[in-house]
Amino acid sequence: MDWKHTREPADAWHMTDDLHAEHGKGDPFAAAIRATRMSMIITDPRRADNPIVFVNDAFLRLTGYAREDILGKNCRFLQGPQTDKAAIDKVRDAVAARTDVSVDVLNYRKDGSTFWNALYISPVSNGSGELQFFFASQLDVTDRKRSEHRITADKERFEKAVKERTRELEAALEAQTTLLHEVDHRVKNNLQMISSLIVMQSRTIKDEATKQSMTTMLERIEALSTVHRRLYQSKDVSKFDVSDFARDLITDLLTASGRSEIKSTLDLEPIVISAEKATPVALMVNELVTNALKHAFKEKPDGTTAGRIGIKMSQPDGHFNIEVSDDGVGMADASGDASFGMRLIKSLARQLRAHIEWRDAGPGTRVVISMPNEPRQKGNMS
Amino acid sequence: MIEPLKVLIVEDEALLAMELESLVEDAGHSVVGWATSLTEARSMVDTTDADIAFVDIHLTDGPTGVEVAEYIGEQKNSMVVFMTANPKRIPDHFAGAVGVIAKPYTMNGLMSALRYLQEGVRRPPPVSVLPAGFTLSPAFETVWAAPSN
Repeated sequence: MDWKHTREPADAWHMTDDLHAEHGKGDPFAAAIRATRMSMIITDPRRADNPIVFVNDAFLRLTGYAREDILGKNCRFLQGPQTDKAAIDKVRDAVAARTDVSVDVLNYRKDGSTFWNALYISPVSNGSGELQFFFASQLDVTDRKRSEHRITADKERFEKAVKERTRELEAALEAQTTLLHEVDHRVKNNLQMISSLIVMQSRTIKDEATKQSMTTMLERIEALSTVHRRLYQSKDVSKFDVSDFARDLITDLLTASGRSEIKSTLDLEPIVISAEKATPVALMVNELVTNALKHAFKEKPDGTTAGRIGIKMSQPDGHFNIEVSDDGVGMADASGDASFGMRLIKSLARQLRAHIEWRDAGPGTRVVISMPNEPRQKGNMS
Repeated sequence: MIEPLKVLIVEDEALLAMELESLVEDAGHSVVGWATSLTEARSMVDTTDADIAFVDIHLTDGPTGVEVAEYIGEQKNSMVVFMTANPKRIPDHFAGAVGVIAKPYTMNGLMSALRYLQEGVRRPPPVSVLPAGFTLSPAFETVWAAPSN
C-alpha cells in the first residue's frame, strides 16, 4: 500500500471506516482490505496504548464485536484466562522491537467463546523510516489446532500403550527367564546327582569289568553334563560352541586317565552348532576320544605307552568336520563293531546325517566325521 | 608331597555332599565339616579350621551361599570356592571367593580342581592348568593367572 500519499494516515484510515468518508473511498487497496474475508486491523503505535484505528468486517465477524466497541482500544481485549502468556509476551516483544511476528494464540470472542488465532503482525513505516502503524491479520485456525491437539493426545495415548505393553512383555520375559534358570538349575543338579550315584555305587564294586562299565557310563553322563554346563554358560542357549566343549572334554579325559605320557593336539576352529545337535555331537566325540584312550595306547614293542591324541574341527562350506586321531596301535586292534560304543557312534552319526569313516593313519587311526551344518557361524560365546 | 587340605563342605544336597566328601578323601585331603545352611555354616566356620570351603549358593535356608562366603571372608580363616549350578547368581566381586566350580562338574574336573587348589593354598600361585569348569574370580585371576595351555 502506498502510505506516502496520505498526509494524515491515522485519520485517513479512520475515515475509511466511515462509509461516508470521502477520503480513501476510491482507493482500491482500501476497498480490498475492507472487503476481504481475512480479518485485519491496524493500530497506531504513536498514540497512547497503541489503539486500533481500523478494523475490517471480517474481524468483526470473527470476534463478534461491533466496530464502535473496539475502535480506539488496545487489542488485548482478545485475551482471556486460557491465553498462553508466552504467546502474549512474544507479541509484546515484537511490537516493542518493531519487528514482525507470527504466533498462534488463543483468543476470546465478545460472547466469551474461544478461537485459535494465527496472528501475524508487521510494522509499517513511512518513507523516512518512522513507524506509523502496525498491521495485523487474524486467521481462525481452531480446526487445525484441534487436530494438532488430537494428534498429540493420540500420540501420548499410543506411547503410553506401547510403554505398558513393553512393561508387560518385559515382565513376561523375566518370568520366563527365571523359569528357565530354575529348570536349568534343576537339570544341572540332577545330572550332578546321577554322576554322584554312579561314582558311589562303583566304589563298592569289586569286579574290574563291571567297574569299567560303570566308569564308561560315568564318562558318557559327564559328557552330557559338560554339554549342559557349556550350553547354559553361554548367552545364547540355542547355540553351542563345540570347540570349547572339545577342549574341556579332552582336558578332562586326559587327566582322568592319569596318563601324562599321552599328549593332545588340538586344532579347533570355533564352530557353533544348534543346541539340539550338541548332545549327539558331544557323545560321539566322547566315544571316539575315550575309545582311543582305552585301546590305542597299548604298550609298544619298546615298552613305552606314550602317544598323542588329536582333535581337529573345521567347517568347510556348509559342513562341519571332526577328526579324532591317535598314533596308537591302529584299527586292527580296535574293538569290534558289535560293541555298544561303536553302535552308539553309528546311531548318533545317522541321527546327525553325518558321514563317518575310520582310516588307517599308520601309525594309529583317524576317524573322520563330516556332517551338514547350518549357515556358517563363527562362535564367540565361550 | 604337598600338605593335604582341610575342607569344609557347605552343600544342602546330602548326596552331593557325600560324594564330594568321598572325592576329597580319595584325593588325600580331609573334610572337617559339612553344613547345609547359613546358620550351620557360621557355627562350623567358628569351630573348625579349614583351608578351603566349598560353598553351594542354594542352601536349606535359601540362596545364602554368598553370605556364607562373606562370613568366611570376615573371619579370614579359609579360602572359598563356590560350587553351584547357577554361577550367574554369584556377585561380580565373588564375595572374596577364589572362583567357582560350575555344576555339573565331572569327577575328574573336581580332582583337578582339588589339585589346583592345593597348589594355590600351599604354594601359590598354582602351576597346574586351570581345570575345565573352574572359573577364577577377577581378583584371583590376576594373582593366580594360570599358565596357558
